[in-house]
Amino acid sequence: MPPVTLNDIELDRLGLETPISRIDRALKQLWEGDEAKTRASITNLAIYTEDSCQLMADNELLDHVAAQHACRALLILALPESQPPRARAWIQALCRPYQGKQVVCSEQISFVLEGGDATQVQNIVFANLDSDLPLVVWWQADLAKNFEEHFYSRIDTLIIDSSRWEDPARQFDVLLAALNSETGGFDVRDLAWTRSHFMRTALATCFQDATACHNLSKLQTIRITHRKGQRTAALLLAVWINQRLKGELKLELIEKETGPALQGLVLEGPGVRGEVRRECESCFVKVSSTCGEQTREELLPADVDTDAELVTELLSRFHGSTLYSSMLPYVRSMLK
Amino acid sequence: MSELENPFQETLLSRHRAEPCTVVIFGATGDLTHRKLIPAFYNIAAEGDLPPQFKVVGFARRDKTDEVFRAELETGNRQNSRQGHNDELWKSFSQSIHYHRSEFEDLEGYKALGRLLDQFDAERGAPANRLFYLAAAPEAFKPILEMIRAAGLNEGKGGKWARVVCEKPFGKDLASAQSLNSVVAATFAEKDTYRIDHYLGKETAQNIMVLRFANSIFEPNWNSRYIDHVQITCAENLGMEGGRGGYYDTAGALRDMVQNHLFQLLTLVAMEPPTDLSADSVRDEKVKVIRALRPLVGPEAVGKNVVRAQYTAGSVNGVARVGYRQEDRVNPESQTEPYVALRLMIDTWRWQGVPFYIRVGKQLPKKATEISVHFKRPPQVPFATAGMLKNSENTLVIRIQPDEGIALRILCKQPGQAMRMQQVKMDFRYSSSFGKASPEAYERLLLDAVAGDATLFARRDEVENAWKFIDEIEKAWHKSDTPPTMHEYPAGSWGPKAADDLLRADGREWRLL
Repeated sequence: MPPVTLNDIELDRLGLETPISRIDRALKQLWEGDEAKTRASITNLAIYTEDSCQLMADNELLDHVAAQHACRALLILALPESQPPRARAWIQALCRPYQGKQVVCSEQISFVLEGGDATQVQNIVFANLDSDLPLVVWWQADLAKNFEEHFYSRIDTLIIDSSRWEDPARQFDVLLAALNSETGGFDVRDLAWTRSHFMRTALATCFQDATACHNLSKLQTIRITHRKGQRTAALLLAVWINQRLKGELKLELIEKETGPALQGLVLEGPGVRGEVRRECESCFVKVSSTCGEQTREELLPADVDTDAELVTELLSRFHGSTLYSSMLPYVRSMLK
Repeated sequence: MSELENPFQETLLSRHRAEPCTVVIFGATGDLTHRKLIPAFYNIAAEGDLPPQFKVVGFARRDKTDEVFRAELETGNRQNSRQGHNDELWKSFSQSIHYHRSEFEDLEGYKALGRLLDQFDAERGAPANRLFYLAAAPEAFKPILEMIRAAGLNEGKGGKWARVVCEKPFGKDLASAQSLNSVVAATFAEKDTYRIDHYLGKETAQNIMVLRFANSIFEPNWNSRYIDHVQITCAENLGMEGGRGGYYDTAGALRDMVQNHLFQLLTLVAMEPPTDLSADSVRDEKVKVIRALRPLVGPEAVGKNVVRAQYTAGSVNGVARVGYRQEDRVNPESQTEPYVALRLMIDTWRWQGVPFYIRVGKQLPKKATEISVHFKRPPQVPFATAGMLKNSENTLVIRIQPDEGIALRILCKQPGQAMRMQQVKMDFRYSSSFGKASPEAYERLLLDAVAGDATLFARRDEVENAWKFIDEIEKAWHKSDTPPTMHEYPAGSWGPKAADDLLRADGREWRLL
């Protein structure tokens, strides 16, 4: 398939094109015209991509996310190889109805940076933040390129999706180096890890009672069924299970062409079995646990699976956790 | 890590996940169960927070099967569930619901309940916790608790707990509350007694502590040096619709709202910082506030500081309304107050000289509950005359319902050559900043009860001290030779003139909502 060029993209869907130097003024005008609109913002959410195909999907994603998390949204498409250098910007309001009469809106500023280098990206982000609010960046591109210390030292939360990485081992190395650097105080959220949240919750339910807990030491194998392209999500889940059990269970990964990212998890040992199963169309998971003769089943929410829902969900779960970063070295070693 | 801890749970939740539990609801065929309790449990299930192997048993007098009971609850859930109704989830969730028919006074019925609970435990393979929820009429509390004890259901089995949740009203005066507390205490330990006040489950009520103790700009100013006064308003634009008059006319605004909900808000605003967030640390501080309320003893003190009133015929938002005494099931000669306003003083170092004005009423222009903290004016404002500063003090408003949020009123210079000031409002609204709906108060409180967190529930001494204070006012109203006047206000107005005068005498005004 030929690569997508800017000419193939309906850029007018990004809103009103505005000279970069006049963004502030254009945003002001955006609000002056309509008093029924209320501007709201509790965070800065920037998405950085170097993939033209991704631009419109991200544009729609921000609309979805802003409906639940009022934000200053920055959407940046950088095309470092493109020449001649050119920077363009668009503004739009992401609105949702509020109490019947009014609408509440977030602001979105979109940039297409042809020939954009790391410095230009940083300057664009820093010049257009809603001041005093946290900065959340979803970095969709290769971490090894424009992701520089000057930039990440100012980020509050970095969102990544390690399941998208072509070379996850290399990317995890960069991420670990950034996290371990003096200025790497940012919180990291991996969508691949968030995808397994419902599996982890469901697994906890399997082994909630005393009888099941007694049998945990008998577990020997982990079997995870995942969709193609979600191997990292499955590995992260397996690392977590081994960490929690303080053991090293035999791991089997089963890849499926279609279906939800994570579709099944089975932990098994003599006389003990825990299973979490997600059917394709269901928004619930079936959980069953067996200890000896006794089997019980439950239905639990399956959580969300799309990128938009995942980002929305993890913006709701802001509390610093070192769990993910503590698992990274183990995931890294499994990727070898 | 002990052998029996679930290692998978530890890293998942910011709160502790509750263990397997059976909830028995007494008065299960009532409105509360259909409108609030079951939809709350259903929504907890939809969030995946329900304890595993959870069971609900509805306990009531009418004869019906599990299937009929589930079908009735399904109808209620479709109408009242915050997250809507999903057939697949309901099918799974409803399997955990059972019905048990018995009279409240029939010991055999409780013994049969015990056998049913044992059967559930046998199916689980281990004993589970037991939560008894008293959603029946208050007069049934005593026989229910006595029968629970007589049937031996008040003791947990196999190291598990048994708890009780009591719905309001918790007594109608100090004597009845003490009596009820004695009955409860004879059946359950105080640590296992959860007196519910759904106001404390509201997001903004919980946010009061965060606002005060997590923001360094507020706490240093949160005292008599900087705060002029505090107002707490709970306005309702309805009257006695739906047959409420029968109960309400025996209670009145003071007992129905002030003793519990508004005193809870008052304590959250006025309490000292707790040493930690344990239930008793928080509740210790709240009790201190109630104990420090300056008593209003005798008709004179009550008359000077409390205004009671009944509404007369009028209209609310264009709709004609009858007067209170003409309402359905209300005594035509009723001396019950659907409106009360109070001036309260808290005799602590922090609040010396700062009045807390509370008002609650029916048939007012709008439905709103909010707390407003009115700061003192600066000692001198060089660019304003005294008249320009009228009603322009900095005001922090905490909106409890509807439209939960926080607003701060400040003065700004108007644009232009002249030095003119203008009041402006910085407004934070939960619903516009967080698109995600807050959980219903009952969801939070039920989850706390099954997880063993009593922070948002009232403790015995809290309830009794509140009644002790309220009783003196009731005594002055109903047992003195010179009772203070019962004022009137037209339905749809903001209350009687006497309530305005209560503040005017102090050089203040009620905030315009």
